[in-house]
Amino acid sequence: MKNEFLKNWDTQLKKGLLPLFVLQALRKKECYGYELIQELKNSAGIDVTEGTIYPLLIRLMKDGLLAHKWVEQSSGIPRKYYSISAEGKKNLRDMKNAIEEILSKIN
Amino acid sequence: MKSLQLENKSAQRIYNDYIARCNKALRILSAADKEESLLEFNSYIYEYLEANKNNGKDEIENLLNILERLGVPEETFKELIASKKMNQALRTFNPKVLVQALILNIGNGFIYILLSLLFLIEVCFVGLSVFKVIYPHRVGVFVGSHSFAIGYSNAQANETELLGNWFIPAAIIATAVLYFFSLFILKTQKKINKI
Repeated sequence: MKNEFLKNWDTQLKKGLLPLFVLQALRKKECYGYELIQELKNSAGIDVTEGTIYPLLIRLMKDGLLAHKWVEQSSGIPRKYYSISAEGKKNLRDMKNAIEEILSKIN
Repeated sequence: MKSLQLENKSAQRIYNDYIARCNKALRILSAADKEESLLEFNSYIYEYLEANKNNGKDEIENLLNILERLGVPEETFKELIASKKMNQALRTFNPKVLVQALILNIGNGFIYILLSLLFLIEVCFVGLSVFKVIYPHRVGVFVGSHSFAIGYSNAQANETELLGNWFIPAAIIATAVLYFFSLFILKTQKKINKI
């Protein structure tokens, strides 16, 4: 059972790592918003809301780490599919290296 | 954007109100940017409702859940609006858009505060050009034995005004130079961010 301090720390940690988890999920496959939220929940155990993921996707797009395309659906409500760009893949590698460096210092 | 057609009348009203609120929050953007953001929010709502259709909760409850998850539109769209507005300012060279973009981004770092100050100086130069027409002897570049001033002065006896009527074209040129310098800084900063 986690105490209050650890729970808060865990939330902050996951929040800080969210861009990495998003890039990692999109490296596996391109996703639309709702699908990405489910993917994060299933693969990383992170429960993130639409109101959190939306500005983050905008920021990653602005920095050139993601690309997007609209895909028409039979329902008439198109989906916006996000995918990782070459720049995004490079950043993801650098982010993972940074984490490994931190871990090596801890151990 | 194709509006969702919900079964429950109250749910439909809540949905319509929310979209209207999003519309209002996005009104500062260009029509195309606004439409794209609305399409995306609409898609979030639709996909959530579809995926949770058979979760035992009624339509209103599911709708309220997804609207709560999307958050207050003004807050959720904040980042998007600031970023799109800046792109628009760089694309259109429109001073009004630049002012809006600077205000929206002022919390995002020192550079935007600096650019806002530059813009204030530009506005002052334009104002001084107008004052020069009204008070030709009081506005200009004044040099005294121990003083130097640009702007409005009570013309001391020991000060000489340097530019005369050339003050107006000089002020306009200075404004234009500062304006393009501001845009140049913004573009350079954008490129640096991308590296």
